[in-house]
Amino acid sequence: MKESFFRSMAWLHTWVGLLVCWLLFLIFFAGTISFFKDEVTIWAEPETHHVKQQVQRVQSQAEQINYVFAQLQHQAPNSLSWRINLPEPRNPILSYGYAEPKQPGQRRAPFNYTHLDPNTLEQLPAPRDTKGGNFFYRLHFDLHYIDVFTARIIVCLASLFMLVALVTGIVIHKRIFKDMFSFRANKGSRSWLDAHNVSSVLALPFHIMITYTGIITLIFMLFPYPAETVYEDGLKQMFEEALPINKRAKPSEEQRPLIAINDVLDQIYTKSPNADISYVFVRNANTATSQIVVYLATGKDVVDNGPRYLFNGVTGELEASSGEDWSASAQFYDSMTALHSGRLAEPLLRWLYFFCGVAGCAMIATGCIMWAKRLRERLKADQKPSFGLKLVETLNLATLMGLPFATAAFFIANRLLPLELAERADKEILVFFLAWLAMLIIAVSGREKHHWRYSAWLNAIACFLVPVVNALTTDGNWITYLLTKQWALFGIDSAFICAGLLFLLQSKKIPSHKTVINKAKSNKNRLLKEQQG
Amino acid sequence: MMELLQFSLCFLGFNCFALAKFNHFRDVFKKKLTEKQRHSFLMSGWITILLSLLLSVLNDGGYGALLFCGYMALSVVMLMILYSFTVSWVKYVSVLTMSVLLLSGFSVMIL
Amino acid sequence: MHSQSLDAMAGNRPKNTAKKRSVSLSYRVAVFLRFVAAIMGGYAFTSVLISLLAVLLPLNKLDSVLLTTTLSVFFYCCVFIWVFAVKSLKTVWITILLTTSGQLLALSFIKGWL
Repeated sequence: MKESFFRSMAWLHTWVGLLVCWLLFLIFFAGTISFFKDEVTIWAEPETHHVKQQVQRVQSQAEQINYVFAQLQHQAPNSLSWRINLPEPRNPILSYGYAEPKQPGQRRAPFNYTHLDPNTLEQLPAPRDTKGGNFFYRLHFDLHYIDVFTARIIVCLASLFMLVALVTGIVIHKRIFKDMFSFRANKGSRSWLDAHNVSSVLALPFHIMITYTGIITLIFMLFPYPAETVYEDGLKQMFEEALPINKRAKPSEEQRPLIAINDVLDQIYTKSPNADISYVFVRNANTATSQIVVYLATGKDVVDNGPRYLFNGVTGELEASSGEDWSASAQFYDSMTALHSGRLAEPLLRWLYFFCGVAGCAMIATGCIMWAKRLRERLKADQKPSFGLKLVETLNLATLMGLPFATAAFFIANRLLPLELAERADKEILVFFLAWLAMLIIAVSGREKHHWRYSAWLNAIACFLVPVVNALTTDGNWITYLLTKQWALFGIDSAFICAGLLFLLQSKKIPSHKTVINKAKSNKNRLLKEQQG
Repeated sequence: MMELLQFSLCFLGFNCFALAKFNHFRDVFKKKLTEKQRHSFLMSGWITILLSLLLSVLNDGGYGALLFCGYMALSVVMLMILYSFTVSWVKYVSVLTMSVLLLSGFSVMIL
Repeated sequence: MHSQSLDAMAGNRPKNTAKKRSVSLSYRVAVFLRFVAAIMGGYAFTSVLISLLAVLLPLNKLDSVLLTTTLSVFFYCCVFIWVFAVKSLKTVWITILLTTSGQLLALSFIKGWL
């Protein structure tokens, strides 16, 4: 569209970047936090902090499943849906639930959950009503306060723009290998460009992978057409062929006793002696069409749909399995979701994922800032800022400073909101958005350097407040977490302390009004001296 | 230990790539980079990086490949900080990396 | 207005920044239409392409659907970039319309919709 391919790609890179950078920052920010969503959920539920990770986690599963089955038979023998969540390496709680009858007007039947300490099988007090890490997880693709379908279309479009920005960025970065380690500090626009280039290049495989696979997770919503064309019954038929274990039998009125769970477990352990079970589902318990579904953990395999088995609930016969013997094409597709969610990642890889996510946020943030600087540099001395410039600068301050502030506010609200508050989880989320709104108001009121400095201060205070409020309102604190080796909690408190220090550093680096004036004065004096001398 | 070996190989490899550039070599050694030196740095860089990738994949398959991409990202950011802010440390860090490499290599072979 | 490369943005500005730049309405409309071509035209082209491929590939049903759907993003991205690489917007629209309808026709014959 321009004179050369290079110029067109440069134009495209900056424009697709500009159109969605703030939304992309939200997606990357929430997504990066989501890599530790289990840990955030643990932090958000202090009622479960004393539960220790089991020593023999996999070996205890059979006993735990038996115990829970007995409980469910007692509590909800006729529920249409049972669910057992076994403890995982990152989530030590054993929980189970059953579906209560669906009331008219409800989209889904409400689930009644019970949480147990897996070491003692004692019931834990119900944790406070909070979404925990799942808020950030859902935020990065379902957004919030808008319907899910619209949100996902917007996120898909933004992710497509991100992918185009990455590809065009590679095309136009001619010195990609020469400048890989270059960072020239304190050189104004050059430094911002270097920061943008370095943060993009150092995690380039990650950025491309996470963006591409992100769109793939929503691909059947975006492109149902191949499935609809090839299969007569379309998407539904395709999913049934791919995952036969998901075929739910229709509920039946006829009562039949549920097979003893050990029959099912024996079959699984015969197949794989050290099977690590993640979930057990029971559909239509104690009826003629009951089904038992068992999900095995995927461990470090790059797969999303691990081995899953469907058993007839009356006879105990294995009726279907999926996740075994995937074809190459199926593995190719399935690995995409696994790569994106990073569920396979153990601590080292998980921290590397997180680090790359932070690099992604830095890449987008530096891009946003360069746009604002470029628009401001075009401004002549007597010109007033255009609406476009004001908009870009406002969104920059509101988003880049507002999201960390809102996050800290969310964590503080988790500790301070009364436990019996109605719809407590939604109110925590409301606090997040109100804090973000507060930062937007600051941004609307002005975008000078001192506004940035004040928001850096606000962020630093909010971040330091999180571990302080935590210490004041729960039994533990940052030091005790280290002593008792509760790494999830220690990690989150540490992350806030680090973030607070970084915001303090930022506030120091932004020159104050006085410094700017003094510098201008000394420059003027220097110029005058040179003229005279 | 194995991860430390894989990472130090990757880090050393990228360090060689950095030293194969005229500006970085000049900052560290205060001399001009000769073509022969440039070639040897590039070769060593490629060999050590590919060795790191090979070890990661042989050890853990697809998971190892992911770890390797993470090592690359971490190496690049550390080297960027090193060459932009603390160039005088490069020699010491390189020696440290090589020692870590040898030590972790020995412990992996012995244990 | 948009022809500056990133080097220019960093401070080595070309001499013509002194000239007054006006962004005409026709330019804005042209840019908008190009984005429409990229987003919607690209979507239509990709949808038809992957549906046709899914039918043509010598794999079983599930595999061809999974493979083509997984590759859809790659195709969409390529088309998107191509739309902005071509000089004339008319060429873009005509090419997209012709190729998409051509593929749709082929698909209809194969599937027996016509």
